[in-house]
Amino acid sequence: MKLIVVVFGLMRKGVLLVLREKKTFMIFTVIYSLLIFLTSLFLEFAFGGELGDIALYLVLIFIVASLILSLLYAWLLVNRNKRNWATLKCIGYTNGNVITMLAGIILFTAFLGFFVVIEILFHYAAFFSYVFPNNEASDNTLIGLLPAVLTSITFMIVQLISIALIYRKILKVRPIVALKKVEA
Amino acid sequence: MTVDMDVMIKAIDVNKEYRRAGAIIRALADVNLTIKSGEFIIVQGPTGCGKSTLLNVLSGLDFPDSGKIIFDGENIARATEDRLARLRRMKIGFVFQDFNLIRTLTALENVESVLWPTVLRSSEIEDRAIAALRDVNLLERKDHYPVQLSGGEKQKCGLARGIIHRPRVILADEPTGNLDPQSETEIMDLLKKINKDSETTVIVVTHREKLASYGDKIVRMKDGRITNVK
Repeated sequence: MKLIVVVFGLMRKGVLLVLREKKTFMIFTVIYSLLIFLTSLFLEFAFGGELGDIALYLVLIFIVASLILSLLYAWLLVNRNKRNWATLKCIGYTNGNVITMLAGIILFTAFLGFFVVIEILFHYAAFFSYVFPNNEASDNTLIGLLPAVLTSITFMIVQLISIALIYRKILKVRPIVALKKVEA
Repeated sequence: MTVDMDVMIKAIDVNKEYRRAGAIIRALADVNLTIKSGEFIIVQGPTGCGKSTLLNVLSGLDFPDSGKIIFDGENIARATEDRLARLRRMKIGFVFQDFNLIRTLTALENVESVLWPTVLRSSEIEDRAIAALRDVNLLERKDHYPVQLSGGEKQKCGLARGIIHRPRVILADEPTGNLDPQSETEIMDLLKKINKDSETTVIVVTHREKLASYGDKIVRMKDGRITNVK
């Protein structure tokens, strides 16, 4: 129970840190949203038998792209703030504490991407229901809920893989770096 | 081996070498040092004499090549990284020359950050951070970001971060190196006050001769060796 409290607390603080780095956060949220949207769309095509195998190949490509993206995101978060992480380690953060904060940031960004996509899909459906009120509701949805949720679950799993892969990078951030003098 | 309860840190035959540009630099050579609980120690010596290396090995940030570091009764010379991290969180407060505040966090959040990986409730962490900021006379600036603080205020914030968890030892590496004379006096007076009020052991590494007057014990180093302790 105590471990869960610490983990969620640190994830929350990670989110607090990243929300103040507005530019990077916005860029990655938009890219995640786009990838989730495209993956969900082609998954919908695959379920509907449209585009044949191409739809499935594209889904796979987008999932691999999300893995690469999250690795890049984690790499940027570690490298650009190396001194901060080193300082946190210096004042008593374990490698596990640091990776938990990073996990909070990455999962939150991906999760937000999912909500952006859901929001867009709702607005799309609402818009078409308003413009073409005589259409059946199913015709008004661009992507069904199932492909969107499946995509998001897959993305979350991919994020966890990338977090595991970036762990070695965290191990290499030595706390002693925090004591190095900043060049004027 | 008997453990003297009064001894906070003991360095026994500590050696440390670095390899730089092919040459071997002996940063610490047969260092023996005993620091008692509640002492105010000033470590002085010329640049490159091994002061900071000594601080690093005493705090578990760096490992000695040989010898023992007994910290509060425990040999930390070969402890795991996570064990050392926990030891630092529970027993050591750091004060850095360059302040090392996280620029996207307010003064209050910077101070609180030490206790984030603990099970303490947010309200308790905030109360403790406010108390620490009050102790260093920076409470009115608690919602300011580091960029909005002067050098002296940044170091006060760094000091508050160093005491929020009520450590047994405060380690300060050139804490006044980037400060004007007035702020230097303020920071050193605060360190002395903390040392007296809570009997926290304070170890300050500095090259400034005039700060020697703050110490109960002055450790002088040269070429990796302790040349004088008085």
